[in-house]
Amino acid sequence: MKLLIGQILPYITVTLFTLGILYRLGRWAGARIIHNITLSPWLQTNGQVAVRIGSEAFLFRNLFRFDLALWAGAFLMHFALLNVLGGHIVGFGFLGEQFALIPGLGISPELSKEMSNLLGTTFGILLFLCLLYLLIRRLTLTKVKQVTKPSDNLWLIYLLVLVGVGDIMRLFEQSFGVEYQLVRDYIVALALFKPVVGMELLNNGFFLVHFLLVQILLIVFPFSKLMHLFGMFAERWIVNRVYKDPAPGLPNVDVAAARAAGIGLPSDAAEEGV
Amino acid sequence: MPEYKGMVQPVRATLEEMRKIHIEPVPDELKPEKAIEYLDQIRKKFRSFVMAMESCTKCGQCAENCHTYLGTRDPNNIPTNRAELIRKIYKRYFTLEGRWFGKLVGAEDISLDVIEQWYSYFYQCSQCRRCAHVCPFGIDTCEVTFIGRQLLHWLGITPKLHASVGAAMERVGNHTNLPKPGIVDTLEFMSEEIMDEFGVEVEFPVDKPDSDIMYIPSSADFLLNPYTLMGAGMFFTYIGANWTIPSTVTEAGNFGLLFDQYWTQRGNVMRLLNAAQELGIKKIVWGECGHGWRAAKMYIPSLADRPVRWPIVHIHDEIANMIRNKELKLDPSKNSKPVTLHDPCNYVRACGLNENMRTIIRAVTTDFREMTPHGMDNFCCGGGSAILFDDPEMYQRRILLSQKKAEQVRATGVGKNGDGILCAPCSICKAQLYPMVEEHELGVEVKGLVDLVGKALVWK
Repeated sequence: MKLLIGQILPYITVTLFTLGILYRLGRWAGARIIHNITLSPWLQTNGQVAVRIGSEAFLFRNLFRFDLALWAGAFLMHFALLNVLGGHIVGFGFLGEQFALIPGLGISPELSKEMSNLLGTTFGILLFLCLLYLLIRRLTLTKVKQVTKPSDNLWLIYLLVLVGVGDIMRLFEQSFGVEYQLVRDYIVALALFKPVVGMELLNNGFFLVHFLLVQILLIVFPFSKLMHLFGMFAERWIVNRVYKDPAPGLPNVDVAAARAAGIGLPSDAAEEGV
Repeated sequence: MPEYKGMVQPVRATLEEMRKIHIEPVPDELKPEKAIEYLDQIRKKFRSFVMAMESCTKCGQCAENCHTYLGTRDPNNIPTNRAELIRKIYKRYFTLEGRWFGKLVGAEDISLDVIEQWYSYFYQCSQCRRCAHVCPFGIDTCEVTFIGRQLLHWLGITPKLHASVGAAMERVGNHTNLPKPGIVDTLEFMSEEIMDEFGVEVEFPVDKPDSDIMYIPSSADFLLNPYTLMGAGMFFTYIGANWTIPSTVTEAGNFGLLFDQYWTQRGNVMRLLNAAQELGIKKIVWGECGHGWRAAKMYIPSLADRPVRWPIVHIHDEIANMIRNKELKLDPSKNSKPVTLHDPCNYVRACGLNENMRTIIRAVTTDFREMTPHGMDNFCCGGGSAILFDDPEMYQRRILLSQKKAEQVRATGVGKNGDGILCAPCSICKAQLYPMVEEHELGVEVKGLVDLVGKALVWK
């Protein structure tokens, strides 16, 4: 079992994740943007398009404008998630000493480890609370209940368990935590197709569950609503693009001359006008 | 058939009427199977549709931002749920998650009942794109209901209203079945009216060869909104333009956009391009029509079967440009009643007319008050995409769908003394709002924007 989860499944996970995403993106790319359905007022430059898509993708602009309560939950959740993911990479990568590597700040490796722990714990808990908030929102607000499918709630519960287990490992590090060095060596060995080291990690039940849930998530990811990560950009690319109006100005029209000639005025009135 | 299992539905076109617009209806027992076949064809073409099917997270933001849901509180009128009516089928037949997890992700088998649901709810959607505007991802439910209506059309289910308009357009070139002699007569009558009311001589040239400008009015302006067409005639005369109205296309609208983006919409585009070529014109100017302007501005480039040699602009663009250049002498005191502007959805969210409408209305009125929200955030009048059905059940729906608009108008206070003006520069908005301002007792008169321009022109 440990052999399967720790040494075989990771390769299957990465393969299915990559191929799955390519499959979905290919599916989207196969259909074309037939008509111009960009939303007006028009964006005039590609810079404006980048700012618009960027502010929607990274700041959740529309949620902020139209539903502040949803924005708070969704933005904080994604922001915490981004930090947690980033934290996993640098935290394990530099064994918690990443902040000591920033020149000029004079942070000692010990302080860096403490900072790393504090940030990880904070974002981990924030992520959990935000997920909980979004789940409660789904279960209580009528309009959201009306659009929710069972899978929407299941995903939130799944993430709550996944994040919850991670949080327990952080909060009770002495009893349930893992040693960074071991994890790094284990991942590096896996990635370089070397004989696996650090399998004793999997004796920790929390780590085993956390690791397994992550792998299942990655396998299902390309076939699920989580693809909205990429859908965001694909959809925005259709509705937010540069459009320029044709130049105004009517052919052979000289308003001043027409008015001087009194066009439209009955003949007697025209004379009076002149 | 105004109801099906508790769902309101517009009256359908008969077999004869469907054949007139070149569709042989599919027999009921084959409809589910054919629906899947057509859906499979169309999903492979439109990325806008695929993305709407595959990237919604059901956050629920669209709900309170849709006037249809606000008016009816029917869960199926929440934009994402409306799209779900087709998404559940899409998932079931065309995605792995739907095939494996079925009901868990909301997938469902196709059936006649589902098709009837489509007919009910896709024709309650005004295709106003407010949901696309507020959606964090920009998912456009309008693209879903366009395609839903297209599938229904291919199956032989089209509202009588839309089908008859499609047939009239093909027969005479406008939606009201007005033949050329009727057009010429009406225009002569308008010339007389203008003389009587404004004391100026305005001619409406029809099919004048070698004109510079081809003006495409909405056919409703011949009958229902005469002041819009009279205003346009006065404007073109005022500026001394060499202009004409083509008798073969006296219609700014293109219902093809709303129920058949293949044959019907494309056919209307070709008809327009033929007219432009025959008359040797240099520029096409569009009249007041929301969906029609969107169809012309945004769809002609992708639907035309030959290079389009003529720039196509909206009459508001040109008037606003002249106002900015101070070429027009306007007297706003001619329109001194309180005015509010209803932004036609297609103008502000699909055609970028937002600022130009305001440039004009500020120049021709003295007491202009904005609604909240307005511009690109505006709510639809409830008639968008021509869901202007007259049968009793659907008419009751229209009152509900215009509820949000009524609240907005009331909040501006323009109708407090019963003499307000609700400027709604789009034929469908006008057709919806004429009866709706009465139903909601708003104390306003509905007018177009060019109407107000015509009145404010100072001739000498």
